[in-house]
Amino acid sequence: MKKTIAILLSLIMVLGMVVACAKPATEAPKTEEPKAAEAPKAEEPKKEEAPKATEEPKATEEPLAPWDGAYMDRDDYKAYVKNDLDVVMAAIEDQLEDDTYAAVKAAREDAEKAIDGAATLAEVRAAYEAGFKAIAECIPLADGLYTYKKESNAERTNVLGILENYAVTKGITGITLFENGGYTMYNPRVTLGTENYIVGYGFGVLAEGAITADLEYETNEAWKRYYHICETSDPGTLNYYNDQGSQVGDLFSYQGASFYTNFMNETKDGYDWVPELAKEKPVAVNDEDGDGMATTWRWEIRTGAADGLKYTTGSEMESRQAFNNREVALEDYLTPFKMLLTQANSLYRGSEQANTKSGAIKGAKEYYQGTADGPNDELWANVGLKAYEENGKNYFEVTFVEEQTQFYCMYYISSSLYMPLPQEFVDLVTVKNIFGYNTDKTETPVDNALSLGAYYLERYDQDQQIVYKKNPNYVYADTKYAIEGIHDKIFPAAQEDTSAVLNEFLAGHFDASGIPQEYLNEYRNDPRTRTRTGTSNFKLNVNATNAETWEYLFGEEGVVTQTPKDSYWELKPCMANHHFIQALSYSIDRLSFAVSRGRVPSVDYLASNYMSDPENGLSYAVTEAHKKAIANLIEDTDGYGYSLELARDYFRMALTELEADGAYAPGTKENPTEIKFEIAWMYPTDEEDYHNEIKNFIETAFNDESVCGGVYKLAIEFWVGNTWSDVYYNKLMPGQYDLGFGAISGNSLDPIGFVSVLSSDQKISNSFTLNWGTDTNDPEAYPIVYKNMRWSFDALYNAVNAQGIVAKGQNKAAVAFNYTKMVKNEDGSYTGSMEMVPALPALTKITPTAVVCCNYERYKLGDGQYDEKEVEFTVENKDGGVVVVTFTVPAELAADYATGSGTSEKPSGLTGFDFYYDQDLDGSQSTGLYYSVQEDYFEVPAAQ
Amino acid sequence: MGKYVLKRIGLAFLTTFIILSLTFILVKLLPFQRPIGGDQQQIAYFDKQFHLGYVFRFEQEAPQYGTLLYKSPTEKGRAYYYYQVPVMEQYTNWLKNIVLHWDWGYSKTFQPNVAASVIIMSRIGYSMRLNIISAVLSVPLGILLGIWAALKKNTVTDHTISTLVMICVSIPSFVLISFVLRIFSYGLGWLPSTWPPDTAATSVKVQGYIIPVFCLCFNPICGYCRTVRAELCEVMESDYLLLARTKGLTRRQAIVRHALKNAMVPIFPSILAEFIFIMGGSMILESLYGIPGIGRLFVLSLNYKDYDILFVDMAIFTTINLLAGVVLDLSYGFIDPRIRMGAKK
Repeated sequence: MKKTIAILLSLIMVLGMVVACAKPATEAPKTEEPKAAEAPKAEEPKKEEAPKATEEPKATEEPLAPWDGAYMDRDDYKAYVKNDLDVVMAAIEDQLEDDTYAAVKAAREDAEKAIDGAATLAEVRAAYEAGFKAIAECIPLADGLYTYKKESNAERTNVLGILENYAVTKGITGITLFENGGYTMYNPRVTLGTENYIVGYGFGVLAEGAITADLEYETNEAWKRYYHICETSDPGTLNYYNDQGSQVGDLFSYQGASFYTNFMNETKDGYDWVPELAKEKPVAVNDEDGDGMATTWRWEIRTGAADGLKYTTGSEMESRQAFNNREVALEDYLTPFKMLLTQANSLYRGSEQANTKSGAIKGAKEYYQGTADGPNDELWANVGLKAYEENGKNYFEVTFVEEQTQFYCMYYISSSLYMPLPQEFVDLVTVKNIFGYNTDKTETPVDNALSLGAYYLERYDQDQQIVYKKNPNYVYADTKYAIEGIHDKIFPAAQEDTSAVLNEFLAGHFDASGIPQEYLNEYRNDPRTRTRTGTSNFKLNVNATNAETWEYLFGEEGVVTQTPKDSYWELKPCMANHHFIQALSYSIDRLSFAVSRGRVPSVDYLASNYMSDPENGLSYAVTEAHKKAIANLIEDTDGYGYSLELARDYFRMALTELEADGAYAPGTKENPTEIKFEIAWMYPTDEEDYHNEIKNFIETAFNDESVCGGVYKLAIEFWVGNTWSDVYYNKLMPGQYDLGFGAISGNSLDPIGFVSVLSSDQKISNSFTLNWGTDTNDPEAYPIVYKNMRWSFDALYNAVNAQGIVAKGQNKAAVAFNYTKMVKNEDGSYTGSMEMVPALPALTKITPTAVVCCNYERYKLGDGQYDEKEVEFTVENKDGGVVVVTFTVPAELAADYATGSGTSEKPSGLTGFDFYYDQDLDGSQSTGLYYSVQEDYFEVPAAQ
Repeated sequence: MGKYVLKRIGLAFLTTFIILSLTFILVKLLPFQRPIGGDQQQIAYFDKQFHLGYVFRFEQEAPQYGTLLYKSPTEKGRAYYYYQVPVMEQYTNWLKNIVLHWDWGYSKTFQPNVAASVIIMSRIGYSMRLNIISAVLSVPLGILLGIWAALKKNTVTDHTISTLVMICVSIPSFVLISFVLRIFSYGLGWLPSTWPPDTAATSVKVQGYIIPVFCLCFNPICGYCRTVRAELCEVMESDYLLLARTKGLTRRQAIVRHALKNAMVPIFPSILAEFIFIMGGSMILESLYGIPGIGRLFVLSLNYKDYDILFVDMAIFTTINLLAGVVLDLSYGFIDPRIRMGAKK
């Protein structure tokens, strides 16, 4: 007993000591930061800290005036500013010719001298601005018509590197957090096609892999060697033609076939494009200039009669059995195109195909628009798709709207959506029910599907399982896809419990599983675990607009969205400071953040699956162009853009500048100035998983007293959406955010096309701009240099993707229009004029062909009929290729249209004009172009 | 009595109608959600919505239909204008189709084109089997456990049962299933970890019922046990039971003939209440165990925003619950003759 009391007393004493020791620490916290990171004294150079750029010797001999920078001493500030110029130099020097390089180098040296000689903060900043401008002015602005679309993959990759470098430096890529790759565990009974993940292809589990043992858990003997995986929800249909998501497309691909497919190469480190339904690669039909590009391509295809290609179905219905082993006919190849493009069928993918710009098929849009009531043979004759026999061989021919290379022809046409189908089968099962259930569920997707792919649908048990069996009729059935089938379990528990799939895998019920965060340490190094790269990079998108830019983009009369005054976003001045954004980026420890979540740490804009050379499977991420583009982002960091020292230095730099600009005033240690900003998250789970750690990274980096003496405090709040689209519609698109979480995936085979979303021009980004603040059509904002010329981002983007009409470095429309409003003449007629100004007068000839007066009063406010009439006009050619069209609307026509031909109840005279013209742009003829003007008014006759 | 029953049934259907109408209108008043993307995606989406009858498409502006949802560019500066079909118009169409054609609509996204009522009918069997088996099993088990505790009142047995019941009644079925799965499926490997598909062997299908039925029974068993114990203890201390004993009945005879009969009066109505409780619990449990029933369908139809299915599912749940309430009320009269339903004073 005494012993027990003694132990208890000892414990109490120890506890007391611990409490006593802990108490003062709570009252007066001391940081454990190394000395180098402590607040520098204003007048003393910080020898401990290692600024990013090499410090240059001072050029001036005169004593400098006292330094007025707040949180960074003069030499450090200058070193960082000079580093900014070095970054510019590094980005452009490869693209400069000797003379220009010499001039730029001289300007750079002058700038350095000026910076060294500057005494005050304002002088340093002015010297930097002047130096930056001088460097830029040494390089001529691009001016003319350019296209680099036909350049080699290597050259286009270089251009992508230049565009990426600009985007990274200007901060319009956002702050990347991680790539959505990670770990996958495979059952040892599964032999993978390769042990090393092939970017853009995978491990080759189905095509090249095998299953070497039975799955004991499976009770159906026939399925024991099937590949067992799961879906978190039942897609309800396998009708890919009418589906918007990716799940149905993925499932459809098991049974679908396309003209071309991918298989792993012999060395198992990449993949090859091989014909599947085709028998050869596409051959150009109209490559007249021999540059390897053509609008029309054809290739030999497999059919039943010639090659034994047959359909397979798993249905036991008598009517469906008639299609089992039915030979594929030549005309079957056109059936899916017709079905998709007939608007009356109301198929989502059809609408998408008809309206696409990339790889658009000639006449497809017109056919779609003309088939609201059903198929139209007359219009179909103009669609650029043909299947025909020639000299005993069967061919498929496609005509695109724009010229394509052989590879992109293969790419655009290789969708399993275009798998042949017999028209009789479509008629039997109906377009509405194809690959799905019928209305009373007496037919399942098994009954309404046909297969030409590696597998065919064996069973579809609603909300339970989808089972595929190896298709003996598949083209490569003998050499590929050795696995006997796929058992896809519908497993909704995975939605509720992140470890549910892993539990099933560990119990031997599934053949593959990801590893949830909480199990990473346990299974990361398990022999069953493989690492894979991702398809998207998740980022914090940045709103770096200032008040003026925000007003222009999102204000009451905004060009992107219109916001009422009382809903204006409260902009944070710090977000518009580039050094502040750099500081935020450097403060995030991506390595620990991503690895702890089983993700791939990344600082890149594009994920690893984006291909520099898609035909040969070369990832852009490994190219020199990319490494150069992000060099400055990772230099002196942990390799993933994290450096506490750099973060703090850039933060001090930003505060120094922001205070000098009057944006913020320092508080006191007891009452610091609070800089609040918000992170908008997509889902509540994002907020739960990520917010606190990101907040902690930022606050730990900047709120430490050693950074700025504790006179500023960053406070990070959050906003969270309910669905994934909330963050886009409510925050990013209308500019109502500071930082917004999200990712976009584009065409991984066309990364240079995907940088479109970085443009501030909504026409280029297709309304997908997520990072705001930089006018990407301003060549003066930052020098983008290519082929010894200076470009805006938009101009070079267009030049490398299509055709760049560039004037003074800016992207321009071929013709600008200045409309002069109509005036009423004494005789009641109206006269107006339109000035047509070419962007490139030396290369452009404009020929007006017609002016059409449109009866909008009737169309929009009357009985809805659309009528229009040509009116007389005269043409005056002026200097600089300017063309002025003067037109006159007769009094009688004006009076009639003013009232909507008498059909408008309260006529307002609404009208419009279409100005038709032909254009010759450097020998390239375009006819039937037009420009429309609306919202002008005729005077409504008094009698009305 | 008959009039009263008819009145109660009529009221149940009226309540169902009101609930469904309110649900329909409130759900349809939710903001219209556009897809993300440029014109290509928007046109595809709105054309689809137009063909499904959720939006109007005009070739001119039509402000009388409220806020413009989307304006798609077409040719020559013209455009299609999309507006949402007014909620009340959708509501009257919906009602008309049900009343005149017994047409409850079609699935739009969950199982496109399949009649909502067909989807419900194909799944209701799974839920009903599960719920009825759970209800049937829980009654005798709960009652027996309650009787045992009452008979052993204030003994170790009683305290143990009561304590366990108090703990177990607090564990929801969806929490319990995680433990049960971990022990019996992933740990010992005795039972299936998910609902076996229809193609599985009969023995496996039978095993598939064990975990969900156990989890659904767990709470009702505890509930019955508590009620029976409390009622029986009270009855056993009553004067008439003492009288029965003094008349010479053995303890067993007194309990079986008098105590149990009277203690059961409040038990039988609670069986229906527990059945309703089981149905509610199965909604989450079906999702966790992958049972393709109507409870899970309710959650799925909400996630998919497939409202026609949601309304039929809602109608089924509401009707079953309200009719169960009617039966519950009526059962009092049958069990206890002193209670007269709808009798005038």
